[in-house]
Amino acid sequence: MAYEVTMPRLGWTMEEGVFGEWLKQDGDEVQAGDLLFTVEGDKATQEVEVFESGILHLPSSAPTPGDVIPVGALLAFIVQAGESLPAESSLPLPMEEQERQASKASPTGTAEPAVPGNPATKTVAADGRGAPTISPRARRVAGELGVDWTRLSGSGRTGRIVERDVRAAAETIVEPVGVDISPVARRMAAEAGISLKELAATSPGGRIQREDVEAAIGARRQPVPADETAGQVLPHTRIRQITAQRMAESARTTAPVTLTTEADATELVALREQLKSSYAPRGLAVPSYNDTYIKLTAAALQEHPTLNSSWGDEGLILHKEIHIGFAVETERGLLAPVLRDVPAKSLRVIAAESASLIEGAQQERLNHEAMQGGTFTITNLGMYGIDAFTPIINLPQAAILGIGRIACKPAVHDGEVVPRQMVALSLTFDHRVVDGAPAARFLNTVREYIAEPILWLTA
Amino acid sequence: MRELTYVEATLEALDSAMARDPSIFVVGEGIGERGGNFNTTVGLYDKYGPERLCDTPISERGFVGMCAGAAMTGTRPVVDFMFLDFILDAFGELVNQIAKMQYMSSGRLKMPILLRGAIGIGHSAATHHSGSYYPIFAHIPGFRVVVPAIPSDAKGLFTTALQSDDPVLFLEHKSLLFNRGEVPEGDHAIPFGQARVAREGSDCTVVAIGSMVDKSVAVCDKLAEDGISAEVIDPRTIAPLDMATILESVSKTGRLLIVDETFQPCGVGAEIAAQVIDEGFDDLDAPIRRLNGAHVPTPYSPPLELAIVPESDDIGQSIRDLLAE
Repeated sequence: MAYEVTMPRLGWTMEEGVFGEWLKQDGDEVQAGDLLFTVEGDKATQEVEVFESGILHLPSSAPTPGDVIPVGALLAFIVQAGESLPAESSLPLPMEEQERQASKASPTGTAEPAVPGNPATKTVAADGRGAPTISPRARRVAGELGVDWTRLSGSGRTGRIVERDVRAAAETIVEPVGVDISPVARRMAAEAGISLKELAATSPGGRIQREDVEAAIGARRQPVPADETAGQVLPHTRIRQITAQRMAESARTTAPVTLTTEADATELVALREQLKSSYAPRGLAVPSYNDTYIKLTAAALQEHPTLNSSWGDEGLILHKEIHIGFAVETERGLLAPVLRDVPAKSLRVIAAESASLIEGAQQERLNHEAMQGGTFTITNLGMYGIDAFTPIINLPQAAILGIGRIACKPAVHDGEVVPRQMVALSLTFDHRVVDGAPAARFLNTVREYIAEPILWLTA
Repeated sequence: MRELTYVEATLEALDSAMARDPSIFVVGEGIGERGGNFNTTVGLYDKYGPERLCDTPISERGFVGMCAGAAMTGTRPVVDFMFLDFILDAFGELVNQIAKMQYMSSGRLKMPILLRGAIGIGHSAATHHSGSYYPIFAHIPGFRVVVPAIPSDAKGLFTTALQSDDPVLFLEHKSLLFNRGEVPEGDHAIPFGQARVAREGSDCTVVAIGSMVDKSVAVCDKLAEDGISAEVIDPRTIAPLDMATILESVSKTGRLLIVDETFQPCGVGAEIAAQVIDEGFDDLDAPIRRLNGAHVPTPYSPPLELAIVPESDDIGQSIRDLLAE
């Protein structure tokens, strides 16, 4: 059955949304969780993910940027390979277009319903009032078959639309006018994510055969080089675009200063070994080093609230909560999921939550909210053998802590040179927000907490 | 397979259970030497004697209360009410003692009592001998309520009833008692709470109870000539009620008619309809319809009696109306 993509309700009071743009093209194969389109909300542009895998079908009446669309209105279909496309008529028009059509004396023949409806029931208000009555089962089947029942007339005793009416309508739904395609070609096109419309354009008037689809697939595979010298152009992923825009904005607007120091992590290493040997046999998630850094940093932020803040044009915004984002490398690019209310959570809870966030990030199923609202960020390059570096502040936050590798080094401990496990810390802070001395005091606290982790992990 | 009447089928189940289990005894009016008004105990008196086939005075409250005590001591009484209408004289014993005793004793006491009797309208039995009342008992927690429609089910469910540690109402419609049908020999037990699909179909579901089952099947067979494919479901037990089978059928057909001779208000049909709306709302393609006997005391007059019971024509019309919804 064709899956309906509808305008989501992004807030309790949202009744309609301004359509932003499609992030996928007509005929693209989409996976559940892919970002499909954007909606311009009150405050920000929200990317909306798709919940179904299949092939995106954008009908001719699909919304274009700037259209005002009521919540719940149909925007597109996700169809499966070999599945026929729902009728064009089942797409709602943008509101102003609906009004225009409703006011016309006789509608033009372009988007006639597949089954002629009772004229009295043809015009349906956007809020659903005036819709014909329909049995619950018929409503369910209409949803499954992608039939717009609001334009049907019912054969039930009181004019109610019943299942047979919906099924009859579904049978008469045909592909876009003029497309004649062989079953094999249809399946191939669906699997390759090539729209029937695209194919129809290549062989106008004729029946689309297997060769036409093969030709279309071949044409699609040819990369188009940007210029003669470029070997290959990798199109930007959405994440790459967002990362580029945010990094550039941070570099452009902040006054970054990076402080580095080294902390003695010997006790932290011992603690981790202890956690490993005690938790793992009991089937508990073993907290990673990163989890302990997150917890210790949150404790340090409680001591130094100015580092847990944002630059505001009116004044410094001190955040009440401590939500710590942490950088996760994924196949698609860098993501920073956020652990909320870190001071209120035990290390075990943090370990479980961060594991689930990392898994979600890597499996591409983290939603927008899971990466929003951080007040401080930690980025750890220790596993790549890096010591100090200069992280870039994750706006609108005031600072970011970079963590290096833990390395066994000669160090002076209790007046003697002994091997100790040392870790490099790099704090980049926004000098607009906070000065060097308080930032240094914060970093020093982090250093102390890492040296005596038990005291602060159990605080 | 050999055929038996409905009564012969329960008699066979009772006989073989009494032969095996000496704790089973029967109490009622005229069930001893006489063998029961409806031949429910024919031949058992000679086999098991007056102690286990115990004739009673006309005092339902007395002998029902006595049997409740007997069941608590570990025996398995079978109370044969002849006409079930007179169970009402023992209503307090039934609802306040028998149905609650296991609960009140925290399960220390069992209540393996089988209460049987003939129900239903027919033969000008008039208003004191035509009641069914099973919705009343299905309303009370603690009872098993059994309404077999065919001889093989009568034997299988009677066997299960004789093994139950809960009180069971075993209700036999008078118009079914002498119907013949194939009945398995030997041990044959049917669990409570399992409906029977009496006829398969795809256009609508007819849940029929007791005497309405065979009648509905016959009507649906006739409607098939007009291309109507109706499914008939016999719940067989009202408590427990096999909603899963009903819901599965409704999910297939989208339309539901409940045919029940008993009164419509607060009845079994109302309960089934409510549960289908709760759990199968999106499967419904039409309003749920009920066809019941008239909500009146049963008249003596044969033409009036005929008029208050759902007859074949009424069932056929109700199915056609349902399909037109």
